[in-house]
Amino acid sequence: MTNPISMNQLETIAADVHAEQAKYRGMLMVCNGTGCVAAKGFEIKKILNDKLAEHGLQDQWLVVGTGCNGFCAVGPIVVVQPEGIFYQKLKEKDVETLVTEHLVGGKPVEKLMHKNPVTGAINPKMEDISFFTKQQLVALRNKGLIDPENLDHYIARGGYTALRRVITENRPGDVIAEITRSGLRGRGGGGFPAGVKWASGRKAMERRGCEIYVVCNADEGDPGAFMDRSIIESDPYAVIEGMTLGAFAVGASEGFIYIRKEYPLALVRLNKALDAARAAGLLGGGIFGTDFSFEIRIHRGAGAFVCGESSALMASMAGRAGEPRAKYVHNVEYGFRDKPTVLNNVETWANVPPILEKGAAWFAGMGTGDVKDNPWNGSSGTKVFSLVGKVRNTGLVEVPMGITLREIIEDVGGGVPDGRTFKAVQTGGPSGGCIPASHLDMPVDFDSLTELGSMMGSGGMIVMDDRTCMVDVARYFVDFLVDESCGKCTPCREGLFALSRILRRICDGHGEEGDLDMLEAICDTVRETSLCQLGGSAPNPVLSTLKFFRDEYEAHIHEKRCPAGVCKPLISYRILEPECTGCGACVKPCPTAAITGEKKKTHTIDAEKCIRCGICFEVCKFHAVEVK
Amino acid sequence: MAPEKIDITINDKKVTVLEDSMLIKAVIGAGIALPTLCYHKDLTPNGTCRLCVCEIEIKGKKRLVTACNYPVRQEMTVWTSSERVQKHRKLLAQMYLGRWPNVPVIQDVARRCGVTDGAAFASDLTDPNPKACILCGHCVKACDEFIQERILDFAGRGILRHLTMPFGESDPHCIGCTSCAHVCPTGAIQIIDDTNHPVDPDMIRRHGMKVNAEMATLDKNQCCMREVGTANIVEVMDRYDLLPVHNYKFGQHPDTYKVDSQVLRKKYFTQNNPDACWFGCSMSCAKAVDGFELKTGPYKGHRVTVDGPEYETVGACTNMGCFDPDFIVEFNFYCDTYGIDIISAGTGMAFVMECFEAGVITTADTGGLELRFGACDEVLECIHQMSRGEGFGVEVGQGVRQLKEKWIREGRGDAQFIRDIGMEVKGLEYSEYVPKESLAQQAGYAMAVKGPQHDEAWLIFMDMVNNQIPSFEDKAEALYYFPLWRTWFGLHGLCKIVWNDVAPADNKKYAPQQAAKIPEHVDNYFKFFEGMTGEKLDEEKMLAQSARVHNLQRLMSVLFGFGTRAEDTPPYRSLGPVTEEEYLSRAERYDGQLRSVLGLDPEKMTLDEKRATLRTHRESQYQKVMDAAYARRGWSQNGIPTKARLRELGIDLPELLALAAD
Amino acid sequence: MIRVNNLHDIPWREGLTVQDVLDHLKYSYALITVTLGDELVEPERYADTSVPDGCAMTVFHLAHGG
Repeated sequence: MTNPISMNQLETIAADVHAEQAKYRGMLMVCNGTGCVAAKGFEIKKILNDKLAEHGLQDQWLVVGTGCNGFCAVGPIVVVQPEGIFYQKLKEKDVETLVTEHLVGGKPVEKLMHKNPVTGAINPKMEDISFFTKQQLVALRNKGLIDPENLDHYIARGGYTALRRVITENRPGDVIAEITRSGLRGRGGGGFPAGVKWASGRKAMERRGCEIYVVCNADEGDPGAFMDRSIIESDPYAVIEGMTLGAFAVGASEGFIYIRKEYPLALVRLNKALDAARAAGLLGGGIFGTDFSFEIRIHRGAGAFVCGESSALMASMAGRAGEPRAKYVHNVEYGFRDKPTVLNNVETWANVPPILEKGAAWFAGMGTGDVKDNPWNGSSGTKVFSLVGKVRNTGLVEVPMGITLREIIEDVGGGVPDGRTFKAVQTGGPSGGCIPASHLDMPVDFDSLTELGSMMGSGGMIVMDDRTCMVDVARYFVDFLVDESCGKCTPCREGLFALSRILRRICDGHGEEGDLDMLEAICDTVRETSLCQLGGSAPNPVLSTLKFFRDEYEAHIHEKRCPAGVCKPLISYRILEPECTGCGACVKPCPTAAITGEKKKTHTIDAEKCIRCGICFEVCKFHAVEVK
Repeated sequence: MAPEKIDITINDKKVTVLEDSMLIKAVIGAGIALPTLCYHKDLTPNGTCRLCVCEIEIKGKKRLVTACNYPVRQEMTVWTSSERVQKHRKLLAQMYLGRWPNVPVIQDVARRCGVTDGAAFASDLTDPNPKACILCGHCVKACDEFIQERILDFAGRGILRHLTMPFGESDPHCIGCTSCAHVCPTGAIQIIDDTNHPVDPDMIRRHGMKVNAEMATLDKNQCCMREVGTANIVEVMDRYDLLPVHNYKFGQHPDTYKVDSQVLRKKYFTQNNPDACWFGCSMSCAKAVDGFELKTGPYKGHRVTVDGPEYETVGACTNMGCFDPDFIVEFNFYCDTYGIDIISAGTGMAFVMECFEAGVITTADTGGLELRFGACDEVLECIHQMSRGEGFGVEVGQGVRQLKEKWIREGRGDAQFIRDIGMEVKGLEYSEYVPKESLAQQAGYAMAVKGPQHDEAWLIFMDMVNNQIPSFEDKAEALYYFPLWRTWFGLHGLCKIVWNDVAPADNKKYAPQQAAKIPEHVDNYFKFFEGMTGEKLDEEKMLAQSARVHNLQRLMSVLFGFGTRAEDTPPYRSLGPVTEEEYLSRAERYDGQLRSVLGLDPEKMTLDEKRATLRTHRESQYQKVMDAAYARRGWSQNGIPTKARLRELGIDLPELLALAAD
Repeated sequence: MIRVNNLHDIPWREGLTVQDVLDHLKYSYALITVTLGDELVEPERYADTSVPDGCAMTVFHLAHGG
């Protein structure tokens, strides 16, 4: 599209897209999110096109590369529309089968479908799979349904009608009020009501009579979290329209997206989307032919975790070292270039268009609490989580606020695999907390998670099974934060380093009396005196594990024992007499040749040589290797 | 708008403070000590050591904040050492002691927090060096805020944070200002002086840093030299009727807003760093314009960097009636590039323009150039001709004195008029201030040894605005002191700007006569001298040192025929209104003076009578001020140093005595 | 009537403040020191300090040009 589009063209464009798609018998939605791309998603798409051509079907079936489908555990994925047949874990050779049996032969291919891991029953369609049934899509409303690089597809799904309405009505104050009434709270971690933030920004802009900026935080830095990346990859226009709406509401004419350099695919799609929006007159000077102008520029972050903190992000954008400043004066008053700056994260911006399309009440109707008079009163809408760790259905999920952790982990996530048992779930990224099984029925919303000593964060969710040592987990996250602390303020710099040393000591079996008190004292000071929220929340992994798994710490210190069998200096491997069949499967993989034994007789491990790598434990089919 | 005064409660005591000022100031003001390792009174707060943490309550909500960077708000209650606060401070002090156990400032702060042992935080990173860097950030701030260089900064994340210059190398942009060492609380940064071998480098540094701290903290509310350089006074001069316009006819112009410092700041200046003309000076008065595209001359179309414009550049252009900032920058560039003095070019061209408008010369003389006031393109063409040695430019390049003599010789127009408006003395063109209403300044200009420029005495405000030197004796005293003082620091290679373009916050504690000298800053110069040479200096000694040179300079001037009363006499444009237009433009002022000073009734006089009377009066006043100044300086009534004065100064060498007066 | 810098006579009126006098004389320079009689007036008080009738006010400009 090269001509600016006018307001009354949206419906025409949508109709054209639908008419174009109606010419086909159906569409093949190939997931081209980063996870599926890594599993050869692009190749699958290409072969699919080739095979269709071979069979002369290219005019009957339309192949569409989509953003992340969400069910990353089973990629690459192809969904055949309009029936919604869900094919998973496709290999290049499976494509021929899919085309000949399903598209030519008219018979869906069962062996390529999803199976219930417990019953083995076949789930032909997405709605049959429990991973999808409890999800409710708002931020991810277009995932898997559109070509993320195609503006017309976005418009065909109702895109830009919200912007059209808002610009036509021309009442920025009403837009802010609507967002406030919807109860939308910042999805980046803080949970600050977006409408309240916008209102403060607009007020500061008017009072100072200066420019105001809107910024999108796409510097997703939590290990294992990919919500923002997936939203940009599957629906970049949602973010762009959201920012444009925000800009109109607060009175900005310039916006910035701060995105990590490690997200090449998201960056490519974002740039293409920005170009297309500019060409269509939906970005830049005179949007929809009115005098409202708004331009978005991209800043690429170099990958420092702390740059996800708003003031560090703005410092980085300004070309300075990414270090936070004290926020006694807020960014909405003095932010980027010392001008009022409204910063929201990707997911928050992506929620804006549907709220303004369907109304605050619709959004407030989802989630918890009655937020229409006070956005602090609850957590409305949905939340996207990246569900990873010891759970069957890893992937990207969007669920209504207030759903329980149990529903997410057991129903959507399909529970803990390999016959292990659930131990804890870590939410909120590295500085979140670990929540034990006893709290699984707690509703997931901003305030409940904080109450438990964890936090919503940006939506990372790591499931741990009984073979996870909670002291080791705390040490892992603290080490991550030691590396990622900017080092500016003393408690975060020196305090986290001290925590790390003590935790390492405990894991190494050198824990001392008084270590736990010291851990708690340091956590307290780091939490209360750090300059920014990185330090303020950094003690969470330690404090929450101390709270729920104190006995594990004590076992390490007093008994020099790691109950989960993880901390190497505290464990030993032994081969059990009756179970060992003498198959020898463990002998070859052992990197130090510590295992010996005659065939068909019980083997033994030389404790001197054993480096406790655990390979023998993994490979033994007879549960004959014991770790203690 | 001035910030509001509010009452807050600190440790149950009511304290009145300015809203939004930092809490630490209120706490210190209330006489309460707070431990801190990163706060410095002259630097913006770092907020990194967290030791100054205080507990506050606003609207029933308690929280911890750091006092150094928390802006105080209404209805605030503060506890500076609650149990919670003390607990955290103790642990923070332990962290510091664990890392740097032997650094005295840390030991001291820790003791104040009740901690003597940091063993719990000892690790393989523990640094026993008593002069270790403790990451307080003072040097980083000083490099940025004092000197605007940002050469020092931290690198490394988290526990690996360390101080460095870019890429870990010694940075050539470091001008050796020593600000970093001055503010370093541990001695981690040491300055090794191996250049001039001063007797007492610390004394020099202490006083230099005092100025740098004043620049960093006061300049933004005083002259804004760091932002706009000397151009800050373009609009000031305009407002006080002192900005030369149309060859010094007027002191104001409605278009000044087009070329004032705000315009230069917003649209032109791109460089804002210290020039290093004086090592360690952080005033950074020199500005530059980058990427300026030239519209004329041999470099037409080139994008160039222009050093300037400063006040005199702008003044030279308003004097020519040129109020186009692009022109000013281009004129600036070509004068620099051709090696033409901007003041002489501007004042000379303004004279030519007035002569052109008065019909003294025509396009036949100028080679077709319509050299009216405001003729920007023609001015540039003339400058290009001057550099090529062609056309009318060559003639203008001779300077005002030559032009005057030539045109009078050629019998063009009224000789007296040409003499009156040709703004030069001793063959040098005037610099860019209108001296008409300040008798002392008229003399400050015209009696200056090397001609009418301002670096001997600039007395306009003292004289005409402040009315500090009303009598002839007062003026003579100023014409004695200031030229000697300014000559003195010029002799030592020291700059004038850090003397009086920033004033200490408490300079107003002095009576105005003294305050004008900025005693504390004069003392800085004395200390620089002492630190360098080891010799103590006071005002009397300084004046004696300078007078020897000043009198020697005057004798040189005598030798070359410029050191006489006649050569100290300015053109009338410098003393009063030459033309009817000029008189009428300030008629109220001039009529008022006829009435109040001379007791005449201007209503009963014709315009010619009024002009003639004013002229006679002003010229005689000028003669009197010269008499008084010569007497104070120990010169004859013909302006020549006397033998007695030379003997007094110990420069009674036979060659000099031969030139001196009896 | 008040007298400023022993140079300018300015008619007095009820409620005349230091700031009013500065505005009247177009004294806008940054480096000034104001005294009323012998008393120094801080810049933040210009707007709310009234000038008594018959008062001698000085507005000292600290400027040396060039």
